Amino acid sequence: MKPKTWCLAFLLTALGLVLALAAFNYATDPFGAFGDRFLQWFSYDETNNPRVAKTTWLEQHHDAYDSYILGCSSTSSLPVEAFNELFDARFYNLFHYGADMKDCEEIARHLLANYEVKNLVLNVYIDNGVTYDDDANPLTHGLHYRVDEDLSAPAYYARYLLADPRYGLAKLRARAEDTLLPQAFDVFDAATGVYDKTARDAEPIGSLESYLEAYPVFADYPRTGPFGLYQTERCMESVAAIREMCEAAGVNLVVVAGPVYGEYLAQNFAPEDVAAFYEALARVTPFWDFSCSSVSYEPRYFYDATHFRNNVGEMIAARIGGDESVWMPEDFGTYVTAENAAAHFAEVLAAEPAAVPTAQVPILMYHNLAEEADGEATMSVAAFEAQIRALSEAGYTAVSLRELEDYVYRGADLPEKPVVITFDDGYLSNYTLAYPILQKYQMKATIFVIGVSVGKDTYKDTGNPMTPHFSYEQAAEMVASGLISIQSHTYDMHQWPPSEDGDGPFRETILPLPGETEADYVAALTTDFTRSRESLEAATGQSVDALAFPSGAYNTLAQATLTSLGVRVTLSTNPGVNTVVRGLPQTLYGMLRFGMQESISPSEMLTLLSGNR
Amino acid sequence: MAFTSWSFVALAAGTVLLYYWTPGRWQWLLLLAASVVFYAAGGWGSLCWLAGVIAVTWLAGLALGRLNEARRALPKGDKAALAAVKRKKKAAAAAAALLCFGLLYAMKYWDFTVDLLPASLGGRLPRWDFVMPLGLSFFTFQAVGYVIDVYRDKYAPQKNPARYALFVSFFPQMVQGPIGRYDALAPQLLAARKLDWKDLQFGIQLALWGYLKKMVIADRAAVLVDAVITENTPYGGAVIAFAMVFYCIQLYCDFSGGIDITRGVARMLGIELAVNFRRPLFATSLTDYWRRWHITLGQWMRDYLFYPLSLSKPFARLGKWARKRIGGLPGKIFATSLATFVVYLVIGIWHGANFRYIAFGLWNGTVITASLLLERRFLAWRTALRIDQASVPWRVFMTARTSLLVFLGRYLTRAPRLLTALSLLWTTVSAPRLGQLADGTLLTLGLTAGDLWVVALGALAVTVLEFFQERGVQVRESLSRRSGPLQWLALAAMLAVLAALGIFRAGYISSEFIYGQF
Repeated sequence: MKPKTWCLAFLLTALGLVLALAAFNYATDPFGAFGDRFLQWFSYDETNNPRVAKTTWLEQHHDAYDSYILGCSSTSSLPVEAFNELFDARFYNLFHYGADMKDCEEIARHLLANYEVKNLVLNVYIDNGVTYDDDANPLTHGLHYRVDEDLSAPAYYARYLLADPRYGLAKLRARAEDTLLPQAFDVFDAATGVYDKTARDAEPIGSLESYLEAYPVFADYPRTGPFGLYQTERCMESVAAIREMCEAAGVNLVVVAGPVYGEYLAQNFAPEDVAAFYEALARVTPFWDFSCSSVSYEPRYFYDATHFRNNVGEMIAARIGGDESVWMPEDFGTYVTAENAAAHFAEVLAAEPAAVPTAQVPILMYHNLAEEADGEATMSVAAFEAQIRALSEAGYTAVSLRELEDYVYRGADLPEKPVVITFDDGYLSNYTLAYPILQKYQMKATIFVIGVSVGKDTYKDTGNPMTPHFSYEQAAEMVASGLISIQSHTYDMHQWPPSEDGDGPFRETILPLPGETEADYVAALTTDFTRSRESLEAATGQSVDALAFPSGAYNTLAQATLTSLGVRVTLSTNPGVNTVVRGLPQTLYGMLRFGMQESISPSEMLTLLSGNR
Repeated sequence: MAFTSWSFVALAAGTVLLYYWTPGRWQWLLLLAASVVFYAAGGWGSLCWLAGVIAVTWLAGLALGRLNEARRALPKGDKAALAAVKRKKKAAAAAAALLCFGLLYAMKYWDFTVDLLPASLGGRLPRWDFVMPLGLSFFTFQAVGYVIDVYRDKYAPQKNPARYALFVSFFPQMVQGPIGRYDALAPQLLAARKLDWKDLQFGIQLALWGYLKKMVIADRAAVLVDAVITENTPYGGAVIAFAMVFYCIQLYCDFSGGIDITRGVARMLGIELAVNFRRPLFATSLTDYWRRWHITLGQWMRDYLFYPLSLSKPFARLGKWARKRIGGLPGKIFATSLATFVVYLVIGIWHGANFRYIAFGLWNGTVITASLLLERRFLAWRTALRIDQASVPWRVFMTARTSLLVFLGRYLTRAPRLLTALSLLWTTVSAPRLGQLADGTLLTLGLTAGDLWVVALGALAVTVLEFFQERGVQVRESLSRRSGPLQWLALAAMLAVLAALGIFRAGYISSEFIYGQF
């Protein structure tokens, strides 16, 4: 090679490498910087850089929205659906993790300049007084050049076209590992812009101790401050700028101060600084204050120390909309103006936080009864009646699952010593033997029936003999008494392999079959539960929104799927007393049950029920 | 403007491109402009210091030039006038040197001096809180070397201040040398040139090689070194020694890589800079090592410190005294040895204001002086043992011994403090905890197993290449005689490795990490 040829070869090779890199980054687009033309996987792109990816998402989908929510990451829990209903609008949650008010101002300016905007909801979080216009990794925290006035288009394209190719490779790898439930690499819901909390929202919640154990961040809360709220002035200048922009454009601006976790506030900020921060906000604009209330002092209302739950977001929407059907603590949410700000914050910052109401609810699980006990599976009528009598004499009131729902969702009261009596499978003996005793003691009970077995004494298909099950008519009769509720134990996901024909695999529980794809599984579960619900509702006229997991087995995807189908209560077979918390639907998921047997004496049973008290 | 920044690459590429488009008589001005851009990127404040050094030494050069003229014009035998001129020359040179070294001292060593003084005195003295200008030690030495050369009437001074400024500030060599000589460098900088494709090719190759050493090997090795070599390091001696080996790799690859980039960029402009490294790994003695490592600094010290010192009147008197009182060989070479010792001490201090650099100077000075004094005895032993000096085992032995001496000295330059260096050395010997080399500890130091392999194979590649160079192979020349596809493959491989293992080495954050706990 002549030197001249070599130099040209060098130039072309180097240029080729640069072009190859740019082409790869353009095609994989791990930050959504170019509109993610090929993969269209914005939940991934937004995880890498929500500022850029959400901007490009809006470029493609702005027609679907007319209202926006702005703020830092805790803003994610302001619910799009509830706000849509409240404002009769189509919201997109444009929050960014780590967003400061400068980000919010620039994004608001971009929105108002380019899109139709009816409402803007702005969440002002206490951290907005700590940081403003901080330096951060431009790749992951930089704004889109159309939003950032200081960033030129060539610099933006150079940044993302010449980015480390490992980001693109990671995206391709993640593509192969993608699941229906969010993972660490795709935490956003593309269509609404919120964090996809399907998994966390499907997770059962019980006692405070077990929650603190599962999320150690709350226990012994670390002191990472003290933080000075030195950026308050600049933050409020940006809020004022947003307010002025909205006024000029005729946009309805709703400012919210979202809930702050109490220990975070107490450990890291001086109360007078906190009051000064929110009072400064009140001087700029009136706002809905949810910052410190009894919600702040209940860890179970938070995913972690800086992010309140979606359920709490529902409460916020209900408070703003004056919807009283949703329960929330009385001290939650105050409309703060320049006039009442000082008095309000003097009060809330000095107030002793009230504990959120909770109830201890034990649940008993029965199966088949007979005149004589038969091993572990079948209990004698005499033993059953002795247990029910003992409950009655000990002052327990049997409640329905609907009553638990009303307690959690609407703030209804529960009797002093509630207990839930349940039967699994729907045996005929529940009707012939148990029902009369329940009537005698006026105890409510819930029976979970397997749809395919209703009224049968032989196994489907093979005709093998099995313990008889009560019929739809008998179910309707029991429901009509007002004592019994009939709920789902699946339609046919509690199969008994020895009596099945064919090679299997069989659905013995609600869990996916080996090798079943997630999509197939969700479809199968949806079909099965819908069939179970429709047949039961048709027979009894009572709505079905509870399901006992066959053999107590379940996973997050099953719970999440059932939640999306409107199931509000699910029950496991793990023993224990349930802690039911107002405003937390997850305390009705995977509920604990004591499996009752012949060998448990009434006094032993009472000890079990009071166990965790 | 770091060599590894895109702005430096853009500046260098832009300069090379424009250079050959610029008419010959303006080319040097383009280089000066590029140098100003380069230096100004580090802040206008440091540009002032650079301008100050340039002004002082240029004026001194002019004055000395005139005095040289005056001396030549003197009638023969006018001893009084000659003495007067000599006095004036001395005064001018000394004033310039004092000003420049005074500035260097103030910038680099003043705070250290204040710290050394008792608090009652040191507390009252003002401290110097300027940021030290980029490459101050290098361009000061280069400029003072020029003054001394003119003082010695080696060449006529440069009359044009802009041309002189280019000599002091030529941008590729600003940061870490090589320290150039006016008579070798200035004519090249000021010449008008036409594009020679071979210069361009070899320059690119050299710079590419430098980038590979710096970004693939040195920057990677540094991660492990930084993790281990700290105050109260929790690691055993074996891991410390392992880290020190990595430090030696890092230091050589970083420094020589930087010099290769410098020389490569200059070569692209058709300028041949002084060689600064000649395969120090193959040195057979510590003296030999210093002839191969940072060569231009060693030569500067030899020409402008060692010779003047050992030829000075006090040293001549000292030599006479030693020959009489000590006698024998030691008496004969006493003065020279002392001058050698002083030179290495100064080299140590040149590295920075810290006791550990003084100790580093003492270490080199002591070992080299001792070997000078004991040379004849070694020779006698070697003869008695009938060792063939040219034999391979002997060379290997000598090289290994030298490497060990260098390795021990490196504890002093890397540790944060002198006491830490000594404690690290002591731990290396007293508590090696060899098991840590195999129990996975090495993988907890910020590098993956892949990274360790990259450093090891990279170091091996450098060693093998230099081995062939040591045996006289002209690597680039022989590569250019290979087939076209092979040459292209080598080129593409270098670029690909540089991109994959160098440019995108650090800074990647996995999405799990970005997202953090939420």
